[in-house]
Amino acid sequence: MSGREQISNYLKSFNRYLASLSSEDAAEVIKEIESHIYDVIDQQEMAGKDADIEGILAGLGAPRVLAENYVNHIQQGTPPPKGFRPLASVTKGLSKTLYWGMLAFGYGTGLALVVLAFANLLLPNGIAFWVEAEGNSVAIGFLSNPILAHRDTTITGLWITPVALVSAYAISLLTYRILALLKRFAIGYQYA
Amino acid sequence: MTETANQSAKWDAQLRKGTLELAVLAAVAGEEKYGLEILNYLHGFETMVISEGTLYPLLDRLKREGVLNAKWHQEGEVRPRKYYSLTESGLERLHILRARWKRSVVDMESLLADSKSGANNSTDNGKETGKRKG
Repeated sequence: MSGREQISNYLKSFNRYLASLSSEDAAEVIKEIESHIYDVIDQQEMAGKDADIEGILAGLGAPRVLAENYVNHIQQGTPPPKGFRPLASVTKGLSKTLYWGMLAFGYGTGLALVVLAFANLLLPNGIAFWVEAEGNSVAIGFLSNPILAHRDTTITGLWITPVALVSAYAISLLTYRILALLKRFAIGYQYA
Repeated sequence: MTETANQSAKWDAQLRKGTLELAVLAAVAGEEKYGLEILNYLHGFETMVISEGTLYPLLDRLKREGVLNAKWHQEGEVRPRKYYSLTESGLERLHILRARWKRSVVDMESLLADSKSGANNSTDNGKETGKRKG
């Protein structure tokens, strides 16, 4: 393997282990390490020696270990929990999807509940829970004509407002907590 | 490697863990330096022989903490290099850490002086010295 190939393989592998960083941050880190490698080669050649590429790469450490050193520092300079490894790029993509999905779903549901709470105040008896199939199915919706609703399967009332507000708060809080965890452990956003 | 040299190397590594940040801040305090320059500079000191794999992630963290400034410079035909310098808050941290380091040295010297003068039979003496504050 030529020296150039060795370097390129090293950097490729290093890049994979940096997947928990944002792509700009990872590119910046790689640019610096690459620049370092060529600086040392220059230095050795200027000293009249043959460039010892294996030695240079060994000095940096295995790509995984070097990447871990970066990621560990980013996790507030303290070693991460045992068993933590920089995430592979596949997991990173998944985490991002999960993050935005969770964000949309959690806050969306919360917002819908708030809207429901206020709509219930504006249209008393216009918002109802339908209970169908012996309680196996529940739906929430607007009644176009409250008087025609089946008393047996429809539940209305002002109590829906506080219940919806409390649920909205609980769901938003839960979403916020989950997103914070996802951010911390799955995505390199804290790195920004 | 002899047993003594091995123990010395281990001790150096342990000690550096806490002091490396100060060493790096001090290294770029005078003038801005790029990675390999910092590494070579530190290697000029017997107890500061650190690996590249330790230095670069640390530089990255210090930059992230706003203690160091990093800029890519290109001079003539030379490849661009990332130069590090102290920020205002870096200078402040350097002053604080320097003061703590000096305090540690004074404390440790007192401890060692006590141990030399045969204070082994009086552990209280040692504790008091440790607690002394400037």
